[in-house]
Amino acid sequence: MDIQAYIQSGIIESYVLGLTSSDETAEVERRRKEYIEVENAIIEFSQSLEESAFEHAIAPPPELKSKVLSAIKDLQKERTLVTPTEPNERAQVVQLQGGSNWRLIAAASVILFVVSAGLNFYLYNKYSNKEEDYQALLLQREILQAKNDVYQTQLKEWQSAAAMIADTGMAMIKMVSPKGKDDVATVFWDRRNKDVFVMVNRLPEPKVGRQYQLWAMVDGKPVDAGVLDPSCTSVCKMKNIPKAEAFAITLEKEGGNKIPNLKALFVLGNT
Amino acid sequence: MNTGNLYHESELVSLLKQRHEHAFNYLYDHYSGSLYSVIVSIVPDRELANDLLQEVFVKIWRQIESYDNEKGRLFTWMLNVARNASIDAVRSKSYQQGQQNRELTENVYEEGGSVQMNTDRIGLRKIVHKLKEEYRVLVELSYFEGYTQDEISKMLKIPLGTVKTRLRSALLQLKQVIKP
Repeated sequence: MDIQAYIQSGIIESYVLGLTSSDETAEVERRRKEYIEVENAIIEFSQSLEESAFEHAIAPPPELKSKVLSAIKDLQKERTLVTPTEPNERAQVVQLQGGSNWRLIAAASVILFVVSAGLNFYLYNKYSNKEEDYQALLLQREILQAKNDVYQTQLKEWQSAAAMIADTGMAMIKMVSPKGKDDVATVFWDRRNKDVFVMVNRLPEPKVGRQYQLWAMVDGKPVDAGVLDPSCTSVCKMKNIPKAEAFAITLEKEGGNKIPNLKALFVLGNT
Repeated sequence: MNTGNLYHESELVSLLKQRHEHAFNYLYDHYSGSLYSVIVSIVPDRELANDLLQEVFVKIWRQIESYDNEKGRLFTWMLNVARNASIDAVRSKSYQQGQQNRELTENVYEEGGSVQMNTDRIGLRKIVHKLKEEYRVLVELSYFEGYTQDEISKMLKIPLGTVKTRLRSALLQLKQVIKP
């Protein structure tokens, strides 16, 4: 056998490139053990092939590297899950033995998944409904609370009004309409500190831009005792009046006047 | 391109078999370009080639166990992994269908003679196309399309012995061309 002729026949190149038939492959593998020249020829061609491949290298898109590395990381995780420390042989045995079990487990897990997905959907719907109910209840509670606050304030006001009426140190001056109308208001005048409070029992609703004003008659002259706050629904604190013969309410422009418009006198009462 | 060997090949292989990620990182940096050119020379579609490069590295990682350095160099082994994966992809049904459509549209502009499918030939395939026709066909069918010599003999109606000798001569010529 002329080994040089064999080497130079191109069989080495076919072999390295993986283009040989199985017979040829077996032949080359037998001869490379027999003849160092064959082995060397294989190494030589492999190296020149590699060098040529490096010469003609084409850089892949740079973003590909991270994809490849993360794919490898995933494999690594799988591997550590399946076989904590042992190399391949062990894993293969386990796989062969457990072949049908794995199918069962896979089927069971699919069923479990479907059931749990359904349950999740049902529970989520239920949860959404409850959430709506809860929001409605919250709103109702807020409305009730607001109403309660209003009642509480009104009650406190009436309580203090009642306390004033009961208080013996408090002078109560009933003011009535000099024109014989039904209009009535009451002044509470603290004899001790001269604080003045007024309670509107019945007065017509003032027109827009108008406001009731309380006057104290001091030595025959009207003294401003403050305007009536429209938001005050019971007893309203007015200005401190040390001395007065009478009290009266007129309707003035919003914010009050310095001199009362006597044509718009609604109620009057002597002390 | 071959920028300094950080690892000796046997050292690299042994680290890879122990699943060192750092060694794999090095493998990618060092060989992705040459393996990519192998893939691209068989699969001109870049997107598919990108997927294939990923597939090839995953295969290398999975199958490094089966690589035997007694039988040949690491690169030769990886080249064949890349080549086989690329040929499988090209032979797959979905790829064939896409290719047929492409061929139809390209044929419209063909003025007769042999159909020049891959106008952007790359690397080794470019060199192969410098060979004379009877050699070129054999390298094309065997190396780039993955047909066995037996299959080629039947396809081209040439005796198996002739296929063998012609392919070998073709590769010898090719070797002369690629010799650095």
